[in-house]
Amino acid sequence: MTEEKKEGALSGYRVLDLTDGRGTYCTRLLADMGAEVIKIEKPGGGSARSIPPFAGNMPHKEKSLFFLYRNTNKKGITLNLENPDGKAILKKLVTSVDVLVESFDPGFMKDCGLGYETLKAINPGLVMASITGFGQDGPYKDWKGSNIVDFALSGAMIGSGFGDGKPTALPGSPGDDAASVFAGVSIITALYVRGESSEGQYIDASAYKASRHFLYPWGLVMWHSNYEPDKPLPGPEGRLGAAVYPVFPCKDGYIRVVALTPRQWEALLRVVGEPEVLCMDEWKEFYYRIGNADVLFALMTEFTAAYTMEELTEMGHKEGVPIAPIYDTSGFANSPQTKSRNFFVELDHPVIGKYKCPSPPYKWSVSQCAVTLPAPCVGEHNETIFCDELGYSNIELSALRFAGVI
Amino acid sequence: MSKYPLEGIRVISFGVGIVIPDLGKTLGQLGAEIIKIETSTYPDFMRTIVPDPNNSPGFNESNRNHKCFGVNLTADRGKELILELIKTVDIFAENYRGDVMERLGLDYDSVKKINPEIIYISSQGFGKGGPYSAHKGYGPTLCAASGLISLWAQPDDEFGCGGTFPHPDNAVSWQGTLAVLGALDYKRRSGKGQFIDISQAEVSAALIGEAMLDYTTNDNVQKPVGNRNPYASPYNCYRCKGNDQWCAISLFTNEEWETFCDATGHPQWKADPRFADTVNRISYAAELDVLIEEWTSDQDPSTVMHVLQNAGIAAGIVQRAYDSILDPHNNWQGNIEEMEHPVSGKRLYPSTPFNMPGMKFPQNSPAPMLGQHTDEICRDILNLSDEEIIRLKKENVLDDPETKETAESC
Repeated sequence: MTEEKKEGALSGYRVLDLTDGRGTYCTRLLADMGAEVIKIEKPGGGSARSIPPFAGNMPHKEKSLFFLYRNTNKKGITLNLENPDGKAILKKLVTSVDVLVESFDPGFMKDCGLGYETLKAINPGLVMASITGFGQDGPYKDWKGSNIVDFALSGAMIGSGFGDGKPTALPGSPGDDAASVFAGVSIITALYVRGESSEGQYIDASAYKASRHFLYPWGLVMWHSNYEPDKPLPGPEGRLGAAVYPVFPCKDGYIRVVALTPRQWEALLRVVGEPEVLCMDEWKEFYYRIGNADVLFALMTEFTAAYTMEELTEMGHKEGVPIAPIYDTSGFANSPQTKSRNFFVELDHPVIGKYKCPSPPYKWSVSQCAVTLPAPCVGEHNETIFCDELGYSNIELSALRFAGVI
Repeated sequence: MSKYPLEGIRVISFGVGIVIPDLGKTLGQLGAEIIKIETSTYPDFMRTIVPDPNNSPGFNESNRNHKCFGVNLTADRGKELILELIKTVDIFAENYRGDVMERLGLDYDSVKKINPEIIYISSQGFGKGGPYSAHKGYGPTLCAASGLISLWAQPDDEFGCGGTFPHPDNAVSWQGTLAVLGALDYKRRSGKGQFIDISQAEVSAALIGEAMLDYTTNDNVQKPVGNRNPYASPYNCYRCKGNDQWCAISLFTNEEWETFCDATGHPQWKADPRFADTVNRISYAAELDVLIEEWTSDQDPSTVMHVLQNAGIAAGIVQRAYDSILDPHNNWQGNIEEMEHPVSGKRLYPSTPFNMPGMKFPQNSPAPMLGQHTDEICRDILNLSDEEIIRLKKENVLDDPETKETAESC
């Protein structure tokens, strides 16, 4: 375990998390840094609890791995925002928070009478972020996204996969993660500025825009660098992953190599014993290697096949060319590097029990940045927030439940 | 209130490649001043894989909003100048390999002695500590070591080969920006600076967090599913009319399925028992994909996208740079801007992404030429006279790119 620290960089800030599927990672990032995040779900739990796969491989609202991964460190309450009592309670909560994050379709909050202007009148310092697929305005604002559709539109998918194969989807939720991190950056910027101005901000974050920056901002520039006025347009982009960052088979799996510069290429040659066939002058040219990647793959395989992933990785390090093993999830989780950094920490969840969860990808020397609590169960903190904080009695809480408010 | 969110914040960057330069670019878009330390003897490697170090498209994107300060770190006086500069900065950002900063005497513990409140972010491939901590990492190797690439493939590919884009470099850059801003606000509130050690491999693993939990809770080592989704169908990337043209389509409910059949002009599919419900559509996904591709392969991808989105079905063309220039929504959002660079000329770049109507953001400035701002920084920040600057150039303390051959960086 990392050493115990008392506060995180965002300790003292309170965040209302109205996200369901999209944008849920944003508030986890803020919670990792110590913000108090109160997740608000519709009565019975949000739809993100249905996203597979599930712990134990059986559908269960407390066992969605998507939900468990993206909601650690948060408190959870239920509230019906379409009910007048629910709206009134939300407004009460808004007075006590610094940040509100939502991911409803554009216009939903406003239609509920909970738009930014209304909430700002209640709390002028409020930082409110909306996270959607395509943004709050513009020709595509009502369009639908999904992991594969977000990625397709990001400009990165066309270059993804083998040159002679199909564009290949990136695993995970790239567009959603992009919008979440981007919204997080915007939120903290707004909090930082608020320190001086005491004014809140409204933030419009979309997967459509953020994924262009989160995945491949070079794409446009690379293509346009070949553009000349009055000449035909530069040719279409190919899928160059296998050529630019080649993978080679070895004794116990595969390695991936980055040999971009002349020095890295020479180092790679030393790793494989400087075979004559690869020491020819033409192979020194980066663009020749890309153009003849298939030949290089066949030649290189003869030599890399004699070593293990770990041997090649070590030799690459010693000689000065980045080489890494291709791990699957178990290979990563069990690697000495991952273990030595305690990347996986044990959490104890009321329903699924003890399990290991990925930590934030950075270590901070002063403030805490860690996963300490599992995702909340449906309405787990209803009593804490509604009774202890807002002063409802147990009877009133029961009435709110009965009326479908919470 | 300041004009821009980070106005008055100064960043010193020992950044190469993408992660730290792009972090600097973004902080610059928020109004910070970014000073990159770089000489013609040890330039950013991105300058070295092209014939002209001042005309590297990737470099010129990632290093927008930077000033380039060419100071020789191996000269005693050069080191003194760097230490003087460090006293004036708020943020120190680096992604040099392994222990290079220690060897230069510019690791956090050393820097903290002269600037106790500094925020120091170090981006290493594998993070500090552990057997690979000294290994140089690039996005493509870290996406291999993190397990991500094992899932980034078609089921029948021999192995995943990733993509043209060096994933997860830009994702790391954004995660790093998030952390730096968190630390900056913490410093505003507490007065305390700190050291942040970011692992690119862990950022990459965090992008497939659910797959990691599938392993830790179910002992299930996921295999690649390509463009399919084990829980929905149709869900794929379909070939369209033209050369290497594609459109991604996904839907999740029976209602969406019926809409899809009508929108594509195939109402008869609704009556086909193979596609009657989600479970059947998943079982017959291969057959269904063949039928859908028969329809898409006669259409422009843009037509497929618009027909489906107008009916309420998620669809998106596999966009190329040229498509992005023509895309009405991209233009509506103002996501592209033209900027002139002294050597590269007028080129298109992604514009500042922030969308906060209550804030102002500065214009982006082009990436610096080698040593472009050396004189300015010496004069305006380090208070050196013009004579001294000339002398220091002669003594090789300050870099004079005019007189040198470019080598490779660390």
